[in-house]
Amino acid sequence: MTDSNDKKPAIPMKGFRKGDLRLASYSRELALIGLTLFIVALFSILYPYSFCSWDNFNAILRNLAFEGILAVGMMVLLVSGEFDLSVGAMASMIGVITAWLMKVAGWPVPMAVATGLALGALAGAMNGVFVAKFRVNALIATLGTMGIFQGIALLVGGPGITFLPESFSRVGQTELLGLQLPVWLLAALALVLHGFLAYSRFFRQLYYVGSNPKAARLSGIHVDRMQIFASAMMGMIAGLAGIVYASRIGTATATVGVGAELQAIAAVILGGASLSGGKGTIWGALIGVFFMALIKNALIIARVSSEWQGIVLGAVLVFAVALDSFMSRQKE
Amino acid sequence: MTCNSTPMLKMRGICKHFVGVQALQEVDFEVLPGEVHALVGENGAGKSTLMHILSGVYQPDGGRIDFNGENEVVFPDEQAAQRHGIAIVFQERSLFGPLSIAENIFAGRQPTGRLGLVDRTAMFEESRKLLAEVGIDVDPRLPVERLSPHQQQLVEVAKALSLHAHLIVFDEPTAALTETETDHLFAVIKKLKERQAAVVYISHRLEEIFLLANRVTVLKDGRHQATLSVSETSPRELITAMVGRELAAVSFDRSLLPGDQPPLLEVKKLSDASGNFPRRVQLKEIDFSVRAGEVVALAGLAGSGRTELALALFGARERTHGTIVVGGHCLQRGNFRGRSVADSIAAGIGYLPEDRKEAGLFLEKSIASNIASASLKQFGRVWTQDGKIAKVADDYRKSLKIASRGTEQPVVSLSGGNQQKVLLAKWLLVKPKVLIVDEPTRGVDVGAKAEIHRLLFELSRQGVGVIVISSDLPEVLAVADRVLVMAEGRLSGELSHEEATEERIIHLASQIEAA
Repeated sequence: MTDSNDKKPAIPMKGFRKGDLRLASYSRELALIGLTLFIVALFSILYPYSFCSWDNFNAILRNLAFEGILAVGMMVLLVSGEFDLSVGAMASMIGVITAWLMKVAGWPVPMAVATGLALGALAGAMNGVFVAKFRVNALIATLGTMGIFQGIALLVGGPGITFLPESFSRVGQTELLGLQLPVWLLAALALVLHGFLAYSRFFRQLYYVGSNPKAARLSGIHVDRMQIFASAMMGMIAGLAGIVYASRIGTATATVGVGAELQAIAAVILGGASLSGGKGTIWGALIGVFFMALIKNALIIARVSSEWQGIVLGAVLVFAVALDSFMSRQKE
Repeated sequence: MTCNSTPMLKMRGICKHFVGVQALQEVDFEVLPGEVHALVGENGAGKSTLMHILSGVYQPDGGRIDFNGENEVVFPDEQAAQRHGIAIVFQERSLFGPLSIAENIFAGRQPTGRLGLVDRTAMFEESRKLLAEVGIDVDPRLPVERLSPHQQQLVEVAKALSLHAHLIVFDEPTAALTETETDHLFAVIKKLKERQAAVVYISHRLEEIFLLANRVTVLKDGRHQATLSVSETSPRELITAMVGRELAAVSFDRSLLPGDQPPLLEVKKLSDASGNFPRRVQLKEIDFSVRAGEVVALAGLAGSGRTELALALFGARERTHGTIVVGGHCLQRGNFRGRSVADSIAAGIGYLPEDRKEAGLFLEKSIASNIASASLKQFGRVWTQDGKIAKVADDYRKSLKIASRGTEQPVVSLSGGNQQKVLLAKWLLVKPKVLIVDEPTRGVDVGAKAEIHRLLFELSRQGVGVIVISSDLPEVLAVADRVLVMAEGRLSGELSHEEATEERIIHLASQIEAA
């Protein structure tokens, strides 16, 4: 406590400007953009026709919309110092429940969608209550609810609910300025969340909560409420992802979200979040998701077998985070 | 001192450079066997860096170390230093909470029996002896996290003893200890002396140095300033050497004390409902008031309920009941239920917690975000205006003289005194009617300490009721207009500034225990 500044000097360094610090706090995002541009350049040279085309770029975006929506929600959650393993199962569950409501129960589409979103928020809030009120470790709590949600999804959805109403599936396949609607939805969601997380008083409390919950409580921030709110929002966003996916392919299956939670967490960590909370931006989440999708796409174009994709993505994640951690220790 | 004059440890010309600063420059330091050598200096003077080099955490850029008859030893890591017989009791506890006390004492070197299995009987037996030696009577099979912070500190000492080290370093060992525990620790250190071990003692408390040490070395800005024999120096001379200037003796002009102000804070019959926590201190029917413009100190032993009282006033403690009136507005009557910290802040109470890093600061966040953390609403109800935060934070940085590169610097990189000033700024910004500060100068160097005292005093004269919780009696006597003493969850006495002496406070604080 006394001499912590022996390690990190409190004496002004020469040539240190205010801007440097701001830049430094975005180091992960900037490094990732650099790496992304490098890969784009490399593959544009190696595969000028198949890789470097509008169609391929569009395909990358189309495929990342689902995980992208999950990732921006996950970023908000990780900023508050929590995380959620159940989001993939939750997306599947809300997808099939919404589909069941419109197909089997015959509800009008908007009502079914609204109910689905509300159920997602409720399921998320449940996770939040377990973690914030009953102090169950987030890993355990959401591992448990993941099993529950996946089970419900299979019970309701069975082998899949197909031939969803035209008015529903048309929405997910509509194109605007050459991009599919889910992509636009992701962009809109990211923009709104970025605005909130960066500039609104309410959302900015999440950074304090994630950074030091005890100090946040003693600063008058309602830590429990904030965490439950973030979880509920994650639930609603996961539900949205599930509904959008079902709309895009016109079918709701109970397994669409399998593994998506880990993909989303990986992308968000890659984009600068920390499992111990208090760090990260929505831009970071988007860059992380895009980077992962890009690598996947590049591997497919290079005709690397699918077995290798997991290996490469895993290695990239571990390597990138290790490098970042190493670099930031060097700076000290 | 003993006749043996070959130093146990001799460090010569030690240099260490970090990015941007020369942390140590040509520092000489030696300790004789059977000697207690105190090491003092302001925060950032290089004490910790020197000790980290000694324990193998850092490698020096230059200089040589001779230890225990061996010339030019190199400690590539902590294990190497430990093998040579160097043990360090760090101020920041490095224990494994869920593991037993014995497992902690013998971490990584548990006694083994046949087949290389851990000999638990021997380990517990040995631990029991060590615990008795440092003066805590607990079962070594208990998990460490069940102990109070000061007991944990003593487990650290037991761990160092178990190494049978030739040199033991104590880094601010008494910061978390009560009077009795401190006495016990001193007895342990004297025993080490008799055993001809060399002891390095780091402390901000000068009284202890004069009680305990043979010699004292002063570091300033990474340089060796002086090595003095304790019998030939005075606290005044030491402070001058540490600070580089003479500090005026602290005394405030109390003639300005507003006399018959109406009470700003009134507390009536504040108690804890008996819960299922036998280990907790319970507050029992506490009545007191604080007038505008006065500094009230809450004194008492560790565990007497001072912090619990503060948390109850601040709305951060459940199951308390009683009446709290702030500035004529009733904050709580009857049960605690439904009142939150936010309500207390809104009513005008501020609280600087005892444990800065644990409960006060957002370490990785910037100075500006820390200062704004309890008053976000001032910067926009819906949208937060960063420009405004930066401006306000910079004003505080200047007026409180926080030494930093600007307000975007993360607080983790500041010294203890500057971190405390950031916390003070955070609560000044709330514009409290009553400000409670819990151990405001623990681990803060003498220069910053005087400054914090002055700030608190000035604040009170601007009409804020200031409550200072402190175990540092000279501090209590220096700042308080009135001293309330607590013992076992009750108020055991009240002394005016004129009446208060260290003896009287200690008497009141231990009254109930003695009866």
